[in-house]
Parts: sequence; structure tokens; C-alpha cells
Amino acid sequence: MDVLLNDDENLIVDSAREFLTGECSTKLVREMEADALGYSRELWAKVAELGWQGMCMPEKVGGSDMPLVYLGLVLREAGRALAPIPLHSTAVATLAVARDGTAAQQEKYLPDVVAGKSVWTWAFTERDPRFVPEAVQMSATARGDNYALDGVKLFVDNFPQADYCVVVARTTAGSKGAQGLSLFIVDAKSKGISQKPLITLAKDKQSEVTFQDVLVPKANIIGAAGEGWPIVERMLDRGTALLCAQMVGAARKDIEMAIEYAKFRTAFGQPIGSFQSVQHTCADMQMWVDGGELLTFEALWKIDQGLPASVEVSQAKAFCNEKCEAAVRNSQSIHGGIGFMMEFDLQLWFRRVSAWTMRMGTSFEHRARIAHALIDIPGEVTLGRPLPAAA
Amino acid sequence: MDFAYSAEQEALRREVRQFIKENVTPELADEANPESDVERPRGQGPMAAALYKKIYDRGWLGITYPKEYGGQGGDRLTQYIVEEEFTRAGINITLGGSGAPAIMAAGTEEQKQYYIPRLIKREVSFCLGFTEPHAGADLANLRCSAVRDGDDYVINGQKMYTSAAHMSTHIYLMARTDRNAPKHEGISIFLFPMDTPGITVRPLWTIQNNPTAPVGTTYGNSRTNETFFDDVRIHKSCLLGEENKGWRVGSMGLNLDRVGASRYLISVRRDEDIVNWVKNNRFDGYSPAENPAIRDKIAEMWIEAQVCRLMTMRSMSIVERGGKFTYEGSAEKVWAPEHGVRVTEAITQMLGPYTTLLRTSAHAIEDGVFAHNVMGSFQSGINHGSVQVMRDQVARRGLELPSSRRPKKVEAK
Repeated sequence: MDVLLNDDENLIVDSAREFLTGECSTKLVREMEADALGYSRELWAKVAELGWQGMCMPEKVGGSDMPLVYLGLVLREAGRALAPIPLHSTAVATLAVARDGTAAQQEKYLPDVVAGKSVWTWAFTERDPRFVPEAVQMSATARGDNYALDGVKLFVDNFPQADYCVVVARTTAGSKGAQGLSLFIVDAKSKGISQKPLITLAKDKQSEVTFQDVLVPKANIIGAAGEGWPIVERMLDRGTALLCAQMVGAARKDIEMAIEYAKFRTAFGQPIGSFQSVQHTCADMQMWVDGGELLTFEALWKIDQGLPASVEVSQAKAFCNEKCEAAVRNSQSIHGGIGFMMEFDLQLWFRRVSAWTMRMGTSFEHRARIAHALIDIPGEVTLGRPLPAAA
Repeated sequence: MDFAYSAEQEALRREVRQFIKENVTPELADEANPESDVERPRGQGPMAAALYKKIYDRGWLGITYPKEYGGQGGDRLTQYIVEEEFTRAGINITLGGSGAPAIMAAGTEEQKQYYIPRLIKREVSFCLGFTEPHAGADLANLRCSAVRDGDDYVINGQKMYTSAAHMSTHIYLMARTDRNAPKHEGISIFLFPMDTPGITVRPLWTIQNNPTAPVGTTYGNSRTNETFFDDVRIHKSCLLGEENKGWRVGSMGLNLDRVGASRYLISVRRDEDIVNWVKNNRFDGYSPAENPAIRDKIAEMWIEAQVCRLMTMRSMSIVERGGKFTYEGSAEKVWAPEHGVRVTEAITQMLGPYTTLLRTSAHAIEDGVFAHNVMGSFQSGINHGSVQVMRDQVARRGLELPSSRRPKKVEAK
């Protein structure tokens, strides 16, 4: 038991932070908000040289096979710098291939991922925004060696820049809930796919993607046809925990800016940071981000150990959703008017952290998952020990 | 990063649980728990005394203290594990507050040799004489005086909220030894027996009085005290640390007192209680466990409890690495007490009028623990540094925000 970073972990954080301090200015972040693809191709190539895309990929495809916690630390730093690279969506999709795909799929796709030559994303959500199996309506109909995909996916991250998209669809017609779902590796440039950009408050690339009779080879199914839900759950759990890491990284930087501002901005003849109302607000912000960070890395660590971690993931996301939002909103308050001027950098962090709190599961959804594990599974619960559901 | 206990630590936990199962009966827990009987000395009934002897023989008292002073020379995490299990069973195995850590940090060899082994064997116990009628959060404003007279000091003054003073063998007292120095620099700490002539202890009854609170209530103590010192003459060897340097010694002890299993556990046990209760109980046709609003609130509180646990683990990790807190201990002392209040108040709105019922009442749920906790949980946010003072420390020590303290003025005496 030692919840602090060890030497290796500190090294990862230090080198990532040093790299991004040099390579990722807020000027770049602003430029990429206006960019058609929304990401820096140059930065993407450079982080591939550092091995970020291949961090948790198997060694046989050129990856480093490191723990997810390490990738979490890198995403924390990427969030801190608001690095305009599609690292999160690529990680979510390619980890599903690396963990649950066939050897052939891994050999075919993952070396390019590790080399930084391909960008990936994933598509689960449709009209119903919840991360429950019932929300998936898209049909995948067997036709010869292919499946034909039909339906509309929403909130697909980084789609315009993606080479491949992991898509969740129903391979069993008329199936309900968790039954009959499958994951497909889909070439994002396939015939029959069209996308419409969504205009988001984070000014990131989110799309509505329409699939009309899109043919995908049967060989591109991840796992067994119709039995994809556990794979989807694992993909979403990893993705959610990694999104939390990115969020706490960004929120940490955001509150540091407010704390520094409070030290030199004066009012009534003294720094506003000497007023107790401001001090106590800053103390709360610090403790909120600390809490989110501890919950997040416990969840990532449990996934690494192969332990049940769904409850821990939901703990992290529900908490980060509310407390990181509160933290960055308070940063805005401490900055006063200047904080929400477009020309002042703070807003770059505020808008992204806010958007991330709304993605990959609301607080209500995640708390419902926790309540189910706590209340509906028989057996006594004890804090600090595995729940009956997980024991 | 490592969020799990080692196999060795898990084995120790099982061993402690087995010991508790074999040795701690409900009657014994009740006898050993000072909260359930206002007058009985802590853990000194015949059954409890025998139990503590057994626990001592197993090497589970004073785990973190050096062997030469009767401890085990063990690490803090071992102490945490053992303490957690005994706390859950209603048995206090701590050395009771900040006295022992302060003696280890500032005491003479003679003081360490005398006090530490006796504290571990529970032959000596300290009450804390810090707060005064005019010195609470602003503790350095204290007036209780210790005046040097030959080889002695003579103590005069009044201390407030000297909990357990009526059942302690000794007092750990903060007094002013220099009236002319700036207020933080004229303070000293003394250790002396409570049967020294001139000491008067008067009870102050808390809102937990009649009926007394069930075991495990957060701050269920029904009695505290005010203690008066009239020309109390003590030998100069009772001084702990240097004269006029007592402020630093006192803060050191308090900082160490704010972390550990007890502080965290007293704030989160209601989270377990409510989950386990709604799983197994209903009101005729109505099951709170099926109410979506209640389910959401229970999950929200559970998450907060995890944050309290992880903050405690963070403090442990820092101490284990030999580091020092800047703000982490204070953060823990904000989160755990405030969470304890939030979960208690949330439960009152889940169970409604049942949570007005105190222990011994008809229809009381869980022995009235939730009702008693309404009166107790907020106390954790007051004592040993209020949550407001703790937030000051997070802001000033942790975030290095500038002090709002005005220039010091000399107060008229």
C-alpha cells in the first residue's frame, strides 16, 4: 500500500510534462480549435516517437506492454497541456483490439497504431445517451462474408481524423439489452459512411456518423458475434477511467492558475488570496481535484491487477464530473471578468473540463451502477474491502 | 502506486479478526468502551483489563513505538490495520491522543522511559489540557499560567473540554510561562499526575447524555470536563521540551493525531450501516432500497467515503516514506468530518422520524445510532482543529496563499 507515485511513475510524468511544456503551447491549442481535423499531425508523430500510442500495446506489435496506470499518467499530462492529439479515442479503441481482438487483427492493425500512423476512435452512443446496452439500436446484418451496418451514431470523438472506428452494433435481429451485441473494426472511409460535425462547447471534433449499408468483413468482429457486451463494458471502463485521468490533469492546471492569480491580483490593498473566502475556496478546489485523482488511479490500478473495477471506475467518474466542474467553475469565479474573455487562456481549460464531465456517463448513471453493486447484490458491505459483488 | 495490502498484511488482518472473534464479546466491548458509561474509567473493568493484557501480549499495543520503550518498532500501516479491526469491534487500542507522539518528539530520555511503556500498558493515560474559555481556535491566546518558583512551577488557571480528565492518571497541559513574550513564544508544555493537590475536575455534560450513545457513535461521549488549577505545584522535570517552546511541541502532537484509522473510521461507519440496513429491512410495503433518490444519495455518500479512505491512505504513504505533510493531514481532517455530517444528515432524510429515536427508545433503528450521530458527527469537525482552521492550513501551507493575519498588536493585560 503506497498511493504515491513510485520512481518509474514520476519519471513518466516528468518527461511527459517536460515534453509538452516545450511542444504544446496554448497557441497551438487555439490553432487546432480552428483546424479542419482538430489535431496537430506534427505533435502526433512526435508522441509516437516517445511511444505514447504503443504504451499499453503488446510487445509483439512493437508496443511497450506497460500498465494502464502509466497511460493514465500520460493522459493526465496531456489533459494538463490540453494536447490537441487524438490519444484518448485511439487508446479506447485500440485497447479493445489489443485485449479482446484476435492475433490476426492485432498483427494487422496495431503496428501502425504504435508507429503513430493511424488514428482510431469508437462509436457506441446513438440517440439514447446512456451507456447501457439498451441504447444500442444499430443493426449489423450478416451477408456472405460481411455484415452490413445500418444506423446513426452520435458523439463520435475525432471521427474526421480517424482511420478506423470500433463500432458497437446488434448482430442478432430483435435482440434486447446485453444480448446480441458485437464490436466491429470499421474502416472509417468505408462506402456508405457519412458524418456531420457537431458544434461543441469544447470546440473539439464530435460527429454524428451515419452508416448506410456499410459492409464490414466478418473477420473484423472483436470477440464472438453476439457476445460483445462484456468486451464493450471493459472498453468503456478503461475509456472512462482514462478520461478521468485527462480531466484531473486539466482541472489541476486550471486551479493552479487560479491559485497563482489569487497571489498577485490585489483588491482593497492586498492580494485576494489573503482573504479567507478565497483561501477556503482554493482549499476546497485542491481537495476536490485530489479526491478525483486518487479515485481515478485506484480504478486504473485495479484494472491493471485484473481485479473487478467497474465500481471504482464509476466512483471516479461520478466524483470527477461534479467536483472537477466545481473546481474549474470556482477558478473562473476567482479570476472574475478576465477569466471568461476569449483572449485569456483559462477558458481553454474550463470548456474542455466541462465537456469531459458530460461524456462517458453522467453522475446519475455512474451512481446507479454503484448503488446496484452496493444494494442489489446480497451480502454485508465493509468499506475498504471488496464488495460482495466483486469478492 | 500500489492500492493493495501485502499478503503479510492481509494475514495480519485475518489474525486480528480471529483474535477479536475469540475474545471480544458484546459485554466486553461495552465494558471496554468509555462512551457507554459516563463514569467508568476507560477499559479498566475486569474483563477489559484482561483483554488489554492479551492484546499487549500479542504485540498489538504501541506498534509504532520503539522496542526500547516497550513498543514493537513496527510501521504505521501495521498499526493502521490492527487499529482498524479493533476500532470496528469497539475496542480502542490507540495510546489516546497527542501525548505519546509529543513525548517521543520532544521528551527527555527519562520522560520517554517513564511514560511510553506505561502508556502502552495503559497504566498511564493523559487528558488534554489545551483549550480555555478564551482560547479555542486561537489557542495561543491561552492564559493558564505556570510560574517558576525554585525547582517547581506553580500552575493557575482553567482548562475547558478536558475530556476524560476524571478518568485519566495524568494531564498533558499547555500553559503560559512568559507573559511578556509574543503569544506563540511564551508557551510551555507540562506532564503531571491528576492527583496533584489543587486540581479540581467538574463535569460538563454533552448533548449525548441520557440516554448515552451506542458503541460506535461518532463522538458519543456524554461527559467532558472543565478543570481548575489553584496553586498546583509541580517539579520542573514535568516540563516537556524547552521552556517557552511549547507551541511547536503541541502542534507536532496534534498533527500526528489527525491521521490514522480512528479518525477516518468514525466518519464513514454510517455509510456501511445504511447500506446494510436498507438491504435487509423495509417498512411494510415500502423499501427505501428501491427508491431511486435514496439509491443515488447512498452511492454519492459511498464515493465520498472512498475519498476519505484514500486521503487517509495518502497520509499513511507519506509517513511511511518518512516525508512530512504540507497540507494532506489537514485535508483529511476536513473531508472525513464533513463527510460524516453529510452522510448522517442524508440518512435522516432517508429514514425520516425513525432517526429521531435515541438508544433505548421503542422503534429505534440500529440502537439509535443515527440519531446519536446527528448530535456527534459534527463534533469531529470542531475538535483537534476545526474544519475552518484546517482549510486555512490547506490554503496557507499547501497552496502558499498569503496570510490574512493582521500585524500583531500587544493586547492590554
